[in-house]
Amino acid sequence: MTQYAFSLDVSRCTGCRACVVACQDQNDLEGDDLAAFRHVTTIERGTFPDVRIAHVSLACQHCGDAPCIAVCPTRAIVRRGAEGAVLVDENLCIGCHSCALVCPFGAPQFSADGPMVKCDLCWVRLEEGLKPACVQVCATHALDCRPTESLGAKKAEAASLRILETLVRTLPPEPA
Amino acid sequence: MTSPTRPDARAALAAAKIPGPDTGIVIRKTLCSICEYKCLVDAHVKDGRLIKVEGSRGSPINDGTLCSKGAASRQWVYNPDRLQTPLLRTGERGEGRFRPISWDEALDRIAERLAGFKAESGPESVVFFAGYPKVMRPFLKRLTHGFGSPNYCTESSTCFVGANMGGYLNYGYMLGQQGGAEIDTTRCILNWSTNHFYSQAPLGNRTFDALDRGTKLIDVGPMLSPPAERADIHLRLRPGTCGALALSMAHVIIEENLHDRAFVENWTHGFDDYREYASKFPPAVAEQITGVPKEKIVAAARLYATTKPAAIVTSACTTIHHTNGVQNHRAITALIGLTGNFDRPGGNHPVPTSYYRPSGLAHREHAFEQVKPWSEMAPRVGQDRFPVWSRIIPQAQAMALPEQILTGKPYPIRSVLAFGLNHRMWPAPEVTKQALLALDFFVDVELFMTETAKFADIVLPACSTLERNEFSISPSRHAIWTEQAVPPVGQSRPDIDIILDLAKRLVPEDELLAQGHAACLEWIFQPAGLSIAELAAHPGGMVLEGRPATPYEKYKKNGFPTPTKKMEFSSTILAELGFDALPVYREPLQSPVATPELAKEYPLVFTTGTRLPMFIHARTFRVPWLRKLHPEPTADINPVDAGARGITHMQWVEVSTPRGALRVRANVTEYVPPGVVNMIHGYPGADANELIDPDYLDPVSGHPGYKSLLCEVWPHPDQEGAAP
Repeated sequence: MTQYAFSLDVSRCTGCRACVVACQDQNDLEGDDLAAFRHVTTIERGTFPDVRIAHVSLACQHCGDAPCIAVCPTRAIVRRGAEGAVLVDENLCIGCHSCALVCPFGAPQFSADGPMVKCDLCWVRLEEGLKPACVQVCATHALDCRPTESLGAKKAEAASLRILETLVRTLPPEPA
Repeated sequence: MTSPTRPDARAALAAAKIPGPDTGIVIRKTLCSICEYKCLVDAHVKDGRLIKVEGSRGSPINDGTLCSKGAASRQWVYNPDRLQTPLLRTGERGEGRFRPISWDEALDRIAERLAGFKAESGPESVVFFAGYPKVMRPFLKRLTHGFGSPNYCTESSTCFVGANMGGYLNYGYMLGQQGGAEIDTTRCILNWSTNHFYSQAPLGNRTFDALDRGTKLIDVGPMLSPPAERADIHLRLRPGTCGALALSMAHVIIEENLHDRAFVENWTHGFDDYREYASKFPPAVAEQITGVPKEKIVAAARLYATTKPAAIVTSACTTIHHTNGVQNHRAITALIGLTGNFDRPGGNHPVPTSYYRPSGLAHREHAFEQVKPWSEMAPRVGQDRFPVWSRIIPQAQAMALPEQILTGKPYPIRSVLAFGLNHRMWPAPEVTKQALLALDFFVDVELFMTETAKFADIVLPACSTLERNEFSISPSRHAIWTEQAVPPVGQSRPDIDIILDLAKRLVPEDELLAQGHAACLEWIFQPAGLSIAELAAHPGGMVLEGRPATPYEKYKKNGFPTPTKKMEFSSTILAELGFDALPVYREPLQSPVATPELAKEYPLVFTTGTRLPMFIHARTFRVPWLRKLHPEPTADINPVDAGARGITHMQWVEVSTPRGALRVRANVTEYVPPGVVNMIHGYPGADANELIDPDYLDPVSGHPGYKSLLCEVWPHPDQEGAAP
């Protein structure tokens, strides 16, 4: 089984929240009762003039050892084999909120008396060779979604290139 | 949702909005024009209805991405406030009571009234105004002058035109919105008070990519914005003091012999005076004015001047929204020539704009627009009041419009025909409202029933970009002629079609306009050999190959297009019109330095107009997805200033200036430095412009000083009441 997961390059996240809106557009989250499946949080640390501001975009992490799957009394939450997406079958869900109690990320959402809903990793899009809506929309390519084993490799490569580019720039020019 | 264990493939595809024969979802290539960056969009359409948008993958502009505003296009197009039919006023002016009328009746009535004003009071008594989008502008300007009125004006009376004036006075070139900065090839970006991440997101990504390549970044601006957060050096100046900072950097560069002496000797005018004037701003003095530590000024000047090539990225408007705005912008852009980065690769490369995009494509837009010379028309609105503007910019200055309507001087204005006019763009918008209500006849063409539209006698429904054909050309010469992605909402129509239908009635002799939208575009771009039919055959657009690229170092051929044929540190035009020839620094008209007595009562610097990512001016407050991201009006205040006033985060506060007061939530944040209050602009029910005097304008450009005045903030007595 391949396990896909989201990754976020915090150094490229500007807190623009396009990912939040693209997810709402993808999933028709138009009502007032449902929050978005994705949340962006901003923190500030320090005092003027030594201050940092950073943002994190977070949705269901489709955990490898997902507590929501373990706790669901009706087995409504399952992992789909092909992409490792953690999905809920709303026909089986009884809206008991057990998953919300154990989820460390606040991913499960509930409409009034309705079943649980949350990010489904855009698994159909992944099958069609597309990125999840939140990833595709991200103008700074801060968000990504890949098989877990290649996420680390991609970040390592990007960081290495940054180092190399700086080195190459500071080398003396080659003789003409 | 379909059970994941018993997948019904077709239903799953439909739920995921995957285009194809299985789902009946088709992709129509279109544009997002919510801002003017014009990202390419894949409209996902089912049964004639937009069900989702995505950025077009592979597009050289946005490569599959969108910002939050563009991503919310569906709620923009199908907004409940969309106008459905032409409307005729039935109640009192401003009351908002209308009855639907047909397009023919509306256009006939408008044409009859405008012809009447022309006969009674002259064509100049009718003003034509263009807000967004910009695609209609050449058409409206041609109609205005064909009608005989000089009074074509736009929202650019407060926007990028001021920055263009600064560049033009120095170099003879309109430098365009980013100052012609070559972000992709430069090795040092001097990012001067602009945050593309929130205004033109794909451009922000290019900045990140540049940083990944090792490009140095100096950020100038009071806010701790995403570019400031990542800068090698952040110069956190007091709003309105950018001219002093730029002059100080110039002083360091000249003093340390880091300037391009060959360029300065051969290609500039007024250097000795400039050098002498800049010497009045040594870093220690500039620190007192700007609040930026002198060591940082020196370090930034050295880094910018010694890294080759280096490019200054300017904003469309932050540096010019001060009462000394154009001169400040001149001081900033003078650094480009001083360091030899003007019109050189990786520096600032002016590329001529056509159709509001710097593509460098050959065109005859001016000939298309200016069908009657100024000499054959009355003076423009604002012509006497803003002589520099009128010398350089082929428009009336809309900031002078309310006063002329209300005083009737130098001649009466009887009617305004506006496309997307928002009276809250003006400082003291209540004055503009009063002026619009005093007109004999006001027409507003709009997407939505806005507050301003309610002042109108006739309101016409325009459609969005997704509902019309539109031509766009990117700086990389990717051109597109979009098809209609979805049918127009109600009876709404494209702005350009409305203009052409009015032209049939008002200027029937205009044979070119009579040939229609596509024919006019082909006429404008005839020198570049543009064929709309060819573009239409490429629904995703195409790169226009084979047209000559804009060269570098154009001045080496014919000199600079300035009166002295050189870059002008000392402006011939400004001197001739009685203004300071040098980029002289003056304090904002309200500032702790300029008005210390006033600052005792209003000790904080008030600034407004900084972008949030989900809003652009007043355009998207009514979009639920976006409004929900920022549901109430706010003012940013530093924890130091908040603490001194007993203000807690998200408490209701009263922000007051000498002109007025507003109730907003305090966003206690380090995003703003101590001493500065940054208020969101245009927010419904808490409009920052109400706090600014109507004559708080830069005398050179006429642009308002939105970004530097004085205010005070206290906890509001009403902590329980609803948001305004």
